[in-house]
Amino acid sequence: MEFADEVRHLDGLKANFSVSETEYLASASLSQQQKQQPTQQVQQVIYSNVKDIVEQQKYVFESFWNRAMPAEQRIREIEEGIEPEFYEVIVDRENATQILVDLSKSLKKEALFLLPNDKSIVRIDKIGIIDYLIKASQNEGTGAIMIICPISEVNSEIIKKVSENAPNIRIVNGNDSPYGMYIVDGHAFRAELKEPEADNFSEAIGFSVYSNRKNTVDFFKSVFELLWNERKLNEELIKTGKMQEEFINVASHELRTPTQAVLAYSQLVQKHPEKTEEMIQAIYRNAKRLQRLTNDILDVTKIESKTFKLNKTHFSLNDLLSSVVDEYKENIDKANIKVRLLHNEIDNEFFLIEADRQRITQVVSNLLDNAIKFTKGKVEDVEVIAKRESKKVDREIVVVNIKDTGSGIDTEILPKLFTKFVTKSETGTGLGLFICKSIVEAHGGKIWAENNTDGKGATFNFSLPLNKQSKQQGQQKQQEMFGGCQVS
Amino acid sequence: MDKSKHYRILVVDNEPDLVSAFKIGLEDNGFIVDAFEDPEVALSNFKADLYDLLLLDIKMPRMNGIEFYRQMKEIDEKVKVCFITASELYFYEEITKEVFPELGVSRIIRKPISIDDLVEYLKEELGTIRCC
Repeated sequence: MEFADEVRHLDGLKANFSVSETEYLASASLSQQQKQQPTQQVQQVIYSNVKDIVEQQKYVFESFWNRAMPAEQRIREIEEGIEPEFYEVIVDRENATQILVDLSKSLKKEALFLLPNDKSIVRIDKIGIIDYLIKASQNEGTGAIMIICPISEVNSEIIKKVSENAPNIRIVNGNDSPYGMYIVDGHAFRAELKEPEADNFSEAIGFSVYSNRKNTVDFFKSVFELLWNERKLNEELIKTGKMQEEFINVASHELRTPTQAVLAYSQLVQKHPEKTEEMIQAIYRNAKRLQRLTNDILDVTKIESKTFKLNKTHFSLNDLLSSVVDEYKENIDKANIKVRLLHNEIDNEFFLIEADRQRITQVVSNLLDNAIKFTKGKVEDVEVIAKRESKKVDREIVVVNIKDTGSGIDTEILPKLFTKFVTKSETGTGLGLFICKSIVEAHGGKIWAENNTDGKGATFNFSLPLNKQSKQQGQQKQQEMFGGCQVS
Repeated sequence: MDKSKHYRILVVDNEPDLVSAFKIGLEDNGFIVDAFEDPEVALSNFKADLYDLLLLDIKMPRMNGIEFYRQMKEIDEKVKVCFITASELYFYEEITKEVFPELGVSRIIRKPISIDDLVEYLKEELGTIRCC
């Protein structure tokens, strides 16, 4: 017989045995419970020198030996705190409950829960697990805590408790499933759902599986991720559906209201010659409103179907801003609106851009309309400023600020201001800023908004890339304009 | 027309152009009309047993027509009410659940409606016997 001075480590052996070239010896203790009697340990010893049995047991030993790891390695792992791999099937439901409680209690980094039905979250809350998750989420360094859970009236209180106390815990609405899956810091626990309506966790589950094997945990995680993404997508689709519904409501309201005015006044105007001018004004005002809405809806359709085209030419942004501002000043005077429109032209600055003139006019008009709309009431200022900024040597941009002193932007809608259908106004479709953003971005620029730091009003800004020759041509243009008049 | 001469109607709609169009149109047809653009002002001026019928817009800022209806009912339980709206009704679940069973679908007028049709409609409503 060869001697090997090597010791190896293997978990989970239930018996002792030794085997040599010719003999086999084994001992085992069995617990035997008899009726009304305390458990007794029964010792067994098996000895054999039958060749076939010895050969068979040698084969068994070798298979254990090959699965085992060198003792030095295991000692090192123990010193480093590495847990050996395990995969357990747990039948004792109290034990399974305790495992899940302990896992949640020790949560440090990541928890992914797939809850099988709406009552599950109520059951795990009862044994303190939700509170452990909430507590862990408040610790710095805790990563993702994600829960997929069918949401209903049954668990709305707990969902509310989670969202109020732990905004970092993300919950998506899931479907019913035949098992619950709990992945906590590299441990995976899966429990079969046997009694969906049970009040307590230990009564609800059937057998469960508990493991820290990397392969098992990775597999559970990938299942969780797939489900999570599917549920997220579903939520997005529902949201989109709701937005479409809201758009139909807003658009139909915005279409029918001016139509109502046009219809009523065109009937009334015949009977009221004394009010003809007033009524024709009202018809015109409402027809314009219809025209704007029609254009907006068409623009959005073009943007979404990606058929939005720019008709670019070279022109001076200074000229465009001046003419839009002048037009507004005229209208403000006519309508007797108490807004002062200021346009600060920076001396010697000339901004030549290559852009769609009509579309940029649309952006400026839309931002000015908003500024005036939310500034109405007292005498207030709306300021339009354009200035040069250079990002890099070869890339200069012009930034236009439209600053008002109105009511400011509602903080609730500020983050999604340029999204479709977002409006706080009763007379808006929430399309204007979405269209502005699409126009500016189609030109390679950016649009953004902020509430003024002095607490009064808001500033909308957009940037556009400057034409490379902007500076030279600007100087050239100035020379053309002023050159001949210069007094030397 | 004599019959409608003494009927008093309250119009509440946040669109100034519509408020004045409805007021002129209904007055042309012999109704006495009080009209408000601001539902809160309308409510604070509201008195019981003054109106035969209310013509209420639904989508209004600060206080929508349904809220106005609820608060108004506390003051005048008996007055007839017609809603007039440019909105999609399914959007206002509260209407379909609460107000419909109480009023019946017939009391919802859809914008746009011609002045003649509106007058016809209101006359019909006023001609019916009060249910309570």
